[in-house]
Amino acid sequence: MRVRAMRKQAKPLSETPETPPDGAGRALHTGSPSTPGKGTVFSKKRVRSARMMKDSLFKVLLAVISVVIVLPFFLILLQLASAGLGEVLGSGLGQGIQFIDTNPGPGLRGGILNSIVGSIALSALAGAVGIPVSVLGAVYINEYTRPGRVKNAIEFGADVLAGIPSIVFGAFGLALLVGGLGFGFGLFSGGVTLAFMMIPTILRTTEEALRAVPVSLREASLALGATKWTTTWKVTIRAAFPGIVTGVLLAFGRVIGETAPLLFTSGNSLGEPTSLFGPGSWVAALPYTIYLYISDPRDYLKAKAQGTAVILLIIVLTVDVIANYISRKVTRRLV
Amino acid sequence: MAPKEPQAAKGSNMDRIEGPRERSFLERLIESSKSVLKSAGSLLVELRHARGAARIDIWGRIGLFIPALAGVFIITLILSLLMYESAPILLSPEGGPGILVNPIWAPNQGQFGILVFIAGTFMCSGLAIVIAIPLGVGGAIFLSEFCPHRVRTSLRMVIELMAAIPSIVYGLWAFTSLRFWVAGVGESFLGISLNGLSLLSGSLILAVMLVPTVVAVSDDALQSVPVTYREASLALGATTSETARKVVLSAALPGVGAAVVLSLGRAVGETMAVLMVTGNSLQIPLTLFDPCYVMTSIITNQLGTAYVEPLWRSALFSVALVLMLMSTMFTIAAKLFIRWGMKTRGIK
Repeated sequence: MRVRAMRKQAKPLSETPETPPDGAGRALHTGSPSTPGKGTVFSKKRVRSARMMKDSLFKVLLAVISVVIVLPFFLILLQLASAGLGEVLGSGLGQGIQFIDTNPGPGLRGGILNSIVGSIALSALAGAVGIPVSVLGAVYINEYTRPGRVKNAIEFGADVLAGIPSIVFGAFGLALLVGGLGFGFGLFSGGVTLAFMMIPTILRTTEEALRAVPVSLREASLALGATKWTTTWKVTIRAAFPGIVTGVLLAFGRVIGETAPLLFTSGNSLGEPTSLFGPGSWVAALPYTIYLYISDPRDYLKAKAQGTAVILLIIVLTVDVIANYISRKVTRRLV
Repeated sequence: MAPKEPQAAKGSNMDRIEGPRERSFLERLIESSKSVLKSAGSLLVELRHARGAARIDIWGRIGLFIPALAGVFIITLILSLLMYESAPILLSPEGGPGILVNPIWAPNQGQFGILVFIAGTFMCSGLAIVIAIPLGVGGAIFLSEFCPHRVRTSLRMVIELMAAIPSIVYGLWAFTSLRFWVAGVGESFLGISLNGLSLLSGSLILAVMLVPTVVAVSDDALQSVPVTYREASLALGATTSETARKVVLSAALPGVGAAVVLSLGRAVGETMAVLMVTGNSLQIPLTLFDPCYVMTSIITNQLGTAYVEPLWRSALFSVALVLMLMSTMFTIAAKLFIRWGMKTRGIK
């Protein structure tokens, strides 16, 4: 029974019954990722009892669930490709290359250059405010504090901040930056609101990256007479740099797709922003443009919404893939 | 202040377990502020004696402390601002705390009940969680226990990409495809024509958006279960699925619990996708195919118009306050799950 239950190890065990327990464990460990395919699970010889039957049913069920989980991803790609690629690749007015290098123009029949520029400007400003704050904060809690109250409070703060709904950030930006402090709608209010949303992501990933830097590196630098400050900037941060870049990219990918915080802070415009404050700073963003176009009754704007979504998705997924690539490279190098 | 309270609660709880040194919150606060002052004082003394590089070092330490507090500062700011903005409605005779249970939202007639939105949010997120949890945990078990290595890498990659897709894109897909499928199903059940803007559409798209989080967090939890647990179970004659269900899953239960609570927090706060497909009609839905109105949608739709009307605006900010408190609660609950896991299972 026992041998039958562990059918993955059935062969080695039956051949050498005196295998020591830790040897069996190792065989099990290496064997577990490569489960026999569904064909072998179903072959009659192996299904010998109700328990075995249940076992294989469970596995098939889980495999089906996994397919169901990833199905929407491909459905979304398919739908965007069928409805949106026409805008991006077509050759009509405001299609093809015109779609990304002209402004909407009369009747919104042109391209979406204003939104692309706007999204990039907004996230650049968000980065300019958010990256220093969160990287420096992470350096402080990882290098300058011992585990305790202060560290817990800061980490807890970051976690709570990560969980706050994006529309609450939008309302907060409206009440504080637009109304309270009087910056008005535009690039500055929108960018700073997005910066608040970047902080938790970058803080936590930077902290992880700093924690992964071996203590021996810091000790070597300190032993050579460097101060803590020099060590932190010239040794620790350099070693952790790829990890920090990953966090920054992930945060960019997140905020570039955010709509709700911008609804009440960035205003909207049919051209590129010309200043940081005031009426010239009203700025369009890709996600907001999608929302406006799809809510519009005009049919050709629905197609443009899909095309805009294609552009947004390309940007976001590229950023995400690069971030994943860097983090995978780094973990491999450090291990 | 708010973020500190749970910490103090946790601290006192631990003290009670450990032994007699139980102190009040105030004493604790005084003591910790004393120690902060003491260390600040010693820092200043050091600063006076330090020269050159050492001086830069100390200035750096002081300078870094400020950005570190930014997160806590922003939360405090958000919380106090939301309280300040929602004070007029909560203190006025027309509103008061009673708006939480008043089902009539008619700002023009002085009715500011937000029960419809709270109910809509709970129903929509609850249904989404009920759909997403079995799928997500099942997928995580498959990934962690049964999946061939090569498939695992690509599946995880797709799931990570799904987590990165902006909610507006999910909303667009739900608005142009998913809702018509839901309408089709509804029509065949109810026999009336529908547009698909309904509670079910909202929950489904929400579930699709939650699944990546649930899978990622649960997979991490399952992976952190020591391999020896699995070996012990298999050695006793259990099948691999029995091991996965009864040993690995139960050992990883706190982590899975954290995944559930975290995704509940995200579900409650999700804005654009839900806004586009729930139909936004002022009613508490009675069937799956009825439209509903969630808290995030009412803020999105009306804050712009309401900004110049003090009470109306204040009512919307009180909705935001409720949202903020709910999300904070879910974050704390997730942390408690992890803490429970570390205590009972010894697993991070």
